[in-house]
Amino acid sequence: MLSLHNPFPTTPKPSLNLNSSTPPFSTTFKPHFPNTLKPPKPHKPHFTTRTQSLLQYNRKPQLAGETPRVVVITSGKGGVGKTTTTANVGLSLARLGFSVVAIDADVGLRNLDLLLGLENRVNYTVVEVLNGDCRLDQALVRDKRWSNFELLCISKPRSKLPIGFGGKALVWLVDALKSRQEGSPDFIIIDCPAGIDAGFITAITPANEAVLVTTPDITSLRDADRVTGLLECDGIRDIKMIVNRVRTDMIKGEDMMSVLDVQEMLGLSLLGVIPEDSEVIRSTNRGYPLVLNKPPTLAGLAFEQAAWRLVEQDSMKAVMMEEEPKKRGFFSFFGG
Amino acid sequence: MASIWTLQFHPISLQPSIWVSKHQIHLNFEKLRPEFRFKSSSSKQLSRKFVLGANSGSPSDPDEPAVKTQTITVAVKDQLSKLHGTINSFPPLVFVMNRYGGSNLAIGLCIAITLLVIAVRVYAARKLRHRTPGSVADLVRRGQLRSDRRGISRPLKYEDPFNNPMVKVGKSNSTVEMCGKVYRLAPVTLTEEEQAIHQKRRSRAYQWKRPTVFLKEGESVPADVDPDTIRWIPANHPFATTASDIDEDLAQNNVYQKHGVPFRIKAEHEAMQRKLEALQSEQKLNNLMIDPRNAKDFERPFKEHPRSREQVEQSSFNNQTSDSMSPTSDPAPISVESNSSSEETQKL
Repeated sequence: MLSLHNPFPTTPKPSLNLNSSTPPFSTTFKPHFPNTLKPPKPHKPHFTTRTQSLLQYNRKPQLAGETPRVVVITSGKGGVGKTTTTANVGLSLARLGFSVVAIDADVGLRNLDLLLGLENRVNYTVVEVLNGDCRLDQALVRDKRWSNFELLCISKPRSKLPIGFGGKALVWLVDALKSRQEGSPDFIIIDCPAGIDAGFITAITPANEAVLVTTPDITSLRDADRVTGLLECDGIRDIKMIVNRVRTDMIKGEDMMSVLDVQEMLGLSLLGVIPEDSEVIRSTNRGYPLVLNKPPTLAGLAFEQAAWRLVEQDSMKAVMMEEEPKKRGFFSFFGG
Repeated sequence: MASIWTLQFHPISLQPSIWVSKHQIHLNFEKLRPEFRFKSSSSKQLSRKFVLGANSGSPSDPDEPAVKTQTITVAVKDQLSKLHGTINSFPPLVFVMNRYGGSNLAIGLCIAITLLVIAVRVYAARKLRHRTPGSVADLVRRGQLRSDRRGISRPLKYEDPFNNPMVKVGKSNSTVEMCGKVYRLAPVTLTEEEQAIHQKRRSRAYQWKRPTVFLKEGESVPADVDPDTIRWIPANHPFATTASDIDEDLAQNNVYQKHGVPFRIKAEHEAMQRKLEALQSEQKLNNLMIDPRNAKDFERPFKEHPRSREQVEQSSFNNQTSDSMSPTSDPAPISVESNSSSEETQKL
C-alpha cells in the first residue's frame, strides 16, 4: 500500500536496517524531485473540475514515459478487480490533472460504465464508430465529476462485435485519440476482459505497458503467471502488478499469502497493494468510485498511491505487513 | 464517614493494596488471637471463682448484695471482654482503617475524583456523539469541513498521497499509520536478477504468438494468412458476427473521422435524397392536381367526421416519422414521399 520513494537506484539486496541513515529507507516520503510544486510539463488547458474531493494534493507526480501511455489492466482470472482498478486508478489520474481515456474492452460483459456511474450516458460505442454511425468524439463519454476523464465502451451489452480485424480497431482508436484536436490524452487505460481469448488479444494489442491485477490466492496467481507470459511474448515488457483484496489479519494468521510471497512467485514489481475493504462494494453499488469517497477509505488511498506510482513509473519499496496495536497515549485510559 | 469511604474504595481501586492489607490483617489477627484467648480464659476463671465463692457462702449471707454487684460487674466485664474480643477478631478492616486512616482518606478522595472525571468525560463524549446531525460541528466531526479552515473557499490541499493527515509514516520508517491503523512495513526483496530469472522461466514455459486474424469455426483459411496467427472463435462468441458489411479501410476511416456527418448517416441521407428527387420528378404532374386528402383540410372545421380526422392524424404521424428519419430532407415532404423514404431507410 505504501511505497517508500527511493531516489536511489535499487540496491541488489535491500537491507532490513530501517533505522540506518542511509538508503533505501531513510529518505522516504519526501519529495525527491526538484520544483515539485511546478507542473512537470507545460500546463495543458484542462477543464475545470466541478466536484472537489476531500484529499487534494499540492504536489503533482512527474509524468514519466511518452504520452499517451497505453496501459492495459489485465488479470487472466475473472473477479479479481480489473474493472475496479481501472475505474479508481483512472479517476485518480484524472484528479492528479492528467487527461485520461478509459476503454472498456470487455465486449460481452462491460461493467466499467456502471462502476463510474455513467451507464445512462453511453449512447454510442466503438461498434457504431466503426460502422460510421457516429464519430469517435461522440462515442467518448466525459465524466461530469472530473472532466478530463473520458470513457469509451467497445460495444453495448448483448450486442455482438463485427470485428474481423482483431486488435486493429483498438490501434486505430489509439491513433485517432493521439491526433485529436484537443490534444493527445496522457493515459489510455484499457480494461481487459477475463480469459486469454479474442477479447484479451484485442485489448492488449495497442498497449505498451500492463498492470496485472491479482489476489493472493493460487488460482489467481497461476492465471496471472500465464497472462504475464503471454504479455511478455507479445513484447510488453513493462508489467507491474497490483495485489488486490489483501487481508493483513489473515496474513498474520498465516491463512493468506503475504504480498512478498506473491511477489516471489510472480517476480513482478509492485504497483500497489489494495486491502480488502467493504467500501469497495458500496462504492460499486453507488456508481461512485472509491477514490472520490469522503472521508477517504483505506482502499481508496491505496489506489491513489498506485496511480501516483503509475505516473512516475515507480514501484513499491516497502509493503504493509500486519496491523500493529496502536500506541495509546497516557491519558487514553481516561477516555482520551 | 471518610474512613468508611476508604474501606469501600479500597477493594475497587487498588488490588495490590488489598492484598497487602489482607496480609496485614492476617498477621494482626494471629497476633490478636492469643491475647483474646488469654483474656477469655481469664474471664472464665474469674467467673468460675466467683461461682465457687457464691456457692460456698450461705444463702442468708449479709454480703449478698455485694456479691450480686460483684457478679454483675464480673458479668459486665465478661461481656465487655467478649465484645472487645469480637471487635478484635473483626479487626482486619478496622485495624487497617485505624492504622492508615489519614493517608487513605487522601488516596480515596483522589480516586473518587478521578472516577468522577472519567464518568463525566465518557458521558460528555457520548452526548457529543449522539448530537443531532446536520450542525456545522457535525460536519466538522465527519470530516466534511475543517474546523480551522471555516470560511476559506480554496479547496484543502495536502502534500501527496504518501504524506497527509490520513497517511503518516512512523519516525523509524518501519511503521505507517493509515486511516487510524498502524501497519508494520517490510521492505521489498525482489531484485533485478530474480525478475530476469522469472522472465526466462516464463519465456520457456509459454511460447505464444499473438493471433492477428479471427476466423469463425468452419470458415476456410485465406491463402495469404499464416495459420499460426489465426484465432478460431466459436460461433456464439461476441466476436463471431464477423459478417460485417464494412471493409477494413472504411472502418479505419470512420475511426479517424474528426468532423462532419458520420459516414453511414451521410450515405443514408444521400440515398434518401436521390430517392426523393427521383420521386419528385416522377410526381410533378400529379402534384399539379389537387390532392384529395389535402382538399379535406379545407373542409369546414365545425363539421367533424371521425373518419377524416383519423386520416389527418395518420398523415401528421407520417410527417413526424419522416422528419425524424430524415432531418436534412426537404422541409415540405408530402405524405406519399415520406412513406417511400421510410421504406428506403428500412431497406438500408
